Amino acid sequence: MEKRLTGLVIILTLLMFSLPVYAGMPMTTAEATVNKVLNVLRDPKLKSPASKEIKKETLRVIYKDMFDEIEFSKRTLARNWNKLNPTQRAEFVNLFEQILEKSYADKILDYTNEKVVFYKENMLSDVQAEIQSKIVTASKEIPIFYRMILKDGKWRVYDVVVENVSLVQNYRTQFNDILAKDTPEKLLETLRKKVSKN
Amino acid sequence: MTKYHHIKSFLFLILLCVILTTGCAHSPGPSSATLPVAKSSPQPILLASTSEQSTAQSAVDAVNPLDDEYKEDELVDEYAKNAVQEERVEIADPLETVNRAMHQFNDKLYFWALKPVAQGYKAIVPEPARVSVKNFFSNLGFPARFLSCLLQADFSGVATETGRFTINTIWGIGGLLDPSAGKELDLQKQDTDLGQTLGVWGVGQGFYIVWPVFGPSSPRDSVSIVGDYFLYPVSYISPWYAGGGVKAYEEVNATSLRIGDYEALKDAAVDPYVAFRDAYAQYRFKKIKARKAKPNPSVPAAEKSSLVKPALPEKGD
Repeated sequence: MEKRLTGLVIILTLLMFSLPVYAGMPMTTAEATVNKVLNVLRDPKLKSPASKEIKKETLRVIYKDMFDEIEFSKRTLARNWNKLNPTQRAEFVNLFEQILEKSYADKILDYTNEKVVFYKENMLSDVQAEIQSKIVTASKEIPIFYRMILKDGKWRVYDVVVENVSLVQNYRTQFNDILAKDTPEKLLETLRKKVSKN
Repeated sequence: MTKYHHIKSFLFLILLCVILTTGCAHSPGPSSATLPVAKSSPQPILLASTSEQSTAQSAVDAVNPLDDEYKEDELVDEYAKNAVQEERVEIADPLETVNRAMHQFNDKLYFWALKPVAQGYKAIVPEPARVSVKNFFSNLGFPARFLSCLLQADFSGVATETGRFTINTIWGIGGLLDPSAGKELDLQKQDTDLGQTLGVWGVGQGFYIVWPVFGPSSPRDSVSIVGDYFLYPVSYISPWYAGGGVKAYEEVNATSLRIGDYEALKDAAVDPYVAFRDAYAQYRFKKIKARKAKPNPSVPAAEKSSLVKPALPEKGD
């Protein structure tokens, strides 16, 4: 009996160590990260409203690792990236990240046992992939696609497509609209205001 | 007795659809085959992008090492070009001033009227019941979807919709349940409308319109609003205000299932008006692209080869 148990432990340990080998695939990476997020959300120890901040803090670490915020910002600004000087760029990346976090953190914390299914991996190029997943709720299915890019041996998300709408494109249109009329400084000002609000 | 009366008028409506479509099939039929070809000069690139372009793109990516983030000169066109799948979807907005006003109006309508009512309703009615109500109304939307599939020459869609309507009406207790979408039958709702049909035929979006109450639209998609009105059995309830009441109830029920979505989108946006306009343009564009890409036995082989690759598969597995 004990022998069998040791055998099981050895096999499990081996499995654990062999996992990183597969973690090279974009779909596995995305799925693993999302599962990490779900584990935090499902954690019975963190159920009380008081631990909301702890949850947010834990989640921040996970998605900082998941998203390539600079790639995200660059793609969002597209051509306009060149209009910003390095200081402005750094500030933009920071502000944009805060806006996204603020808008979506609460939505994620609202999570109540919906199912998340990963079902497809589309390689867009050697270093880019689209991972298709869906959230299944009682009344509907919401398709969520993660576009990922391979950099330094690591797959990270640079765009999220929710129900056919690409976040990067959506913000690009908004920022384009602002930058067509105003200076980058003015855009940063708008973002600063949005971050400091509520 | 009134019940029979309704069924009769409904049957008449279906019959009308069939007559209409067979009638129409002569004129727009051939044009539906030619129009996309004539109009689709940008389309093949978009649809083929997954395979051919991606290899070319990876070469671009290799030249463009992404770690030198702050490199100045070469960035200019990289991200516009770097569109592995990111087609540029934009919609003209000549009526921006009016549209912004309408957007404001709809926003207030939501926060002051629709949301409070939906919240109250949500507190009273349990979710499964609300899902059933949604299914029921969705089942009644069959004529519009059926006709749209037919006009798009999407015969598998026509069959699916007919099957769904029959099964859900009979075994789904008049459409309250949706047994056809289950694992065994796997007949999924064909989420299409007349605006998409025109899009598949090659009619462009035109420009952005925000209708009061109906929300984001375009001249093309406004056809949907009108067409759906006539193809929706609820519109034939008399007196007219009873029909209106039923539609208002339907909207409240639907809203109760998605409270928070609008708020989240709005809060996330830097300029909500532009965010919704862009979301609308992207959403419609990709829906129509997916409809066009749907493998269809009626499409000639030459055309098919460019259409077969579904950029956005409707289902997984």
